[in-house]
Amino acid sequence: MLEPSLDLYGEAAERVEGLLVDLLTQSRARYALLIDRQGFVILHRRAAWAPKPPSLDSLATLIASNHSANEAIAQLFGEASFRETVQQSDGVGTYVESVGDKALLVTVFDASAPLGKVKLFTKRALERIQAVLEETREAAPVADIGGSFSVHAGALLDELFGDGKTP
Amino acid sequence: MSTINFAAREINFKLVYYGPGLSGKTTNLKQIHAHVPVESKGEMVSLQTEDERTLFFDFLPLDLGKVNGFKTRFHLYTVPGQVFYNASRRLILRGVDGVVFVADSAPNRLRANAESLRNLRENLAEHGLSLGDLPYVIQLNKRDLADALPVDMIRAVLDPDGVAPLFEAVAQRHVGVIEPLKAVSKLVLEKLAQRA
Repeated sequence: MLEPSLDLYGEAAERVEGLLVDLLTQSRARYALLIDRQGFVILHRRAAWAPKPPSLDSLATLIASNHSANEAIAQLFGEASFRETVQQSDGVGTYVESVGDKALLVTVFDASAPLGKVKLFTKRALERIQAVLEETREAAPVADIGGSFSVHAGALLDELFGDGKTP
Repeated sequence: MSTINFAAREINFKLVYYGPGLSGKTTNLKQIHAHVPVESKGEMVSLQTEDERTLFFDFLPLDLGKVNGFKTRFHLYTVPGQVFYNASRRLILRGVDGVVFVADSAPNRLRANAESLRNLRENLAEHGLSLGDLPYVIQLNKRDLADALPVDMIRAVLDPDGVAPLFEAVAQRHVGVIEPLKAVSKLVLEKLAQRA
């Protein structure tokens, strides 16, 4: 089965990217990411002044896993989830909000961005992103992922791993 | 399940290495990380205890390249094998596309292998999945042990119907590491083609 991580493409994706940029500008945060709950990055933006981010794959995987673990903890107490997830060190922090049941909005900030501001503008961005998702309930575009996809991907696997035998 | 990201034009698959504690799941990922070209791999992340046992998971992203205009990637995870980390194992199976079951060939680990496989079935069921529906291969690791159990004996316990492809390995020496990864990846692609 192949499912869209989120119904987000074309003009809607561009609008959400614009909202991520607004979030960074208004909150003075470093990075804003929309990731799915399996830990795959859907969209991301970086403030012009921010240093190069760490591996986004690693960041998204760890945040999604951490979020799942937090949900499991909340469920031990009979709650569906914790309302918000904030992590702060001396230098950097992350703030995570759920986007429906498929995705997470992640704001990464440093000491120059007050947490209150980060929360306020992340929640505002979340509302607007959800509004975009509500508005754009079009059919997902069709991707050529049939037999030809598998044949081509299989060929790339052969190329990457050779005959699969250990030397 | 496989996910498609139209915004970034990416197709992603999630493969999970499952098996009892100390069977060699993390070693598999370390070997893959060490032998795949730099341009095809991301950082490997390991969440371990102080004594280097997996606490939550290991993670390694592999980039296959562009297929039909879509960047195609496999995300490899291990689960913590120790019995008491079951909540973590269940979380990691969320959205799984394929499983490599890493079995230990030592005679005193036969029961642990069987219990881990039963635990895998139970945790998959929590996600509405079953091994019968999921691309799945078995790796028999530590074949270099002097007292390694015969392959047929382990197969009789783990896969008596002989359904799953089975690979012998010595993961520490990078023997039999790539074959199961390649096999499960191809099974995942075949399944995608059937459903598309």
